[in-house]
Amino acid sequence: MKKNSTMVYHSIYLEKKRLEIRMLKSVGHNFYTLFLSLFDQLVLGNCVLLVNLRRMRLEKCWFCSSTVYPGHGIQFVRNDAKIFRFCRSKCHKNFKMKRNPRKVKWTKAYRRLHGKDMTQDSTFEFERKRNRPERYDRNLAENTLKAIKKIDKIRSDRASDHIKNRLKTSKVQRQKEARKQLELGIHLVKAPLALAQDSSLCLPKIKVNVSQAQTEENQPMED
Amino acid sequence: VIGASNRRYAHIGDVIVAVIKEAVPNTPLERSEVIRAVIVRTRKELKRDNGMIIRYDDNAAVVIDQEGNPKGTRIFGAIARELRQLNFTKIVSLAPEVL
Repeated sequence: MKKNSTMVYHSIYLEKKRLEIRMLKSVGHNFYTLFLSLFDQLVLGNCVLLVNLRRMRLEKCWFCSSTVYPGHGIQFVRNDAKIFRFCRSKCHKNFKMKRNPRKVKWTKAYRRLHGKDMTQDSTFEFERKRNRPERYDRNLAENTLKAIKKIDKIRSDRASDHIKNRLKTSKVQRQKEARKQLELGIHLVKAPLALAQDSSLCLPKIKVNVSQAQTEENQPMED
Repeated sequence: VIGASNRRYAHIGDVIVAVIKEAVPNTPLERSEVIRAVIVRTRKELKRDNGMIIRYDDNAAVVIDQEGNPKGTRIFGAIARELRQLNFTKIVSLAPEVL
């Protein structure tokens, strides 16, 4: 299923506008004309509201790869006309410091490079940039909206599974270490005499060292 | 800045009066000639109505004559889209990239 984010958000914007008109109607404004063109003109009473229906595109931050929503961030145009978009001043400042995002731990670039996050998945194919604008089709828009939700959910589930699997091996390791630590440090938990006296208190795997036996062994050595 | 009395700083799209400090040898313009120019790129951010903020890597201007036509035949580097609204159509058409 193809997906074009600009077209979709354009349609969402239109829907929002229609909602607003309905709201205004209920409040009791009369408006004479309403026509949708590139500039949405709402004639309310005497005043004219010029609403600019510009195309909206969600960009990716060059540094951290998060989405840049309209009205956020700074675009930097280098002299060779390459555009760098940043989501916030943190990324912008890091860029000015000439940091390589592949070496900065909290960026998506680093995480993908070092295998912390999922890199290859079929769900990524849906989000490729398409330069051809689609003719507006209501059905297509509806289906796309539904698809976006589903694809998003699938993708985030797969990504969290990837991370879980990555962290799974360390859990076994940690349990082993914890068990060993408990064996060594059992005297902190229960007094050794108590363990010796009451064998039901000790852990099934631990050998109980009877202190009397030890002293007997030591005595001949001291002599 | 032309068209604004005693304005301190010019922005993208403003016409300024400038003097030439350095000139490439075989051009019609010479050093210490007073000319008009329109600013096309600034290192200071340009804010747009849709919330977009654009910053360029350098400060640049295009030398123009009284009518607003560029004196040269080529333009290097990107140009801000604001110039089109300000009727600098010739400059915009010559620009390799309009951002």
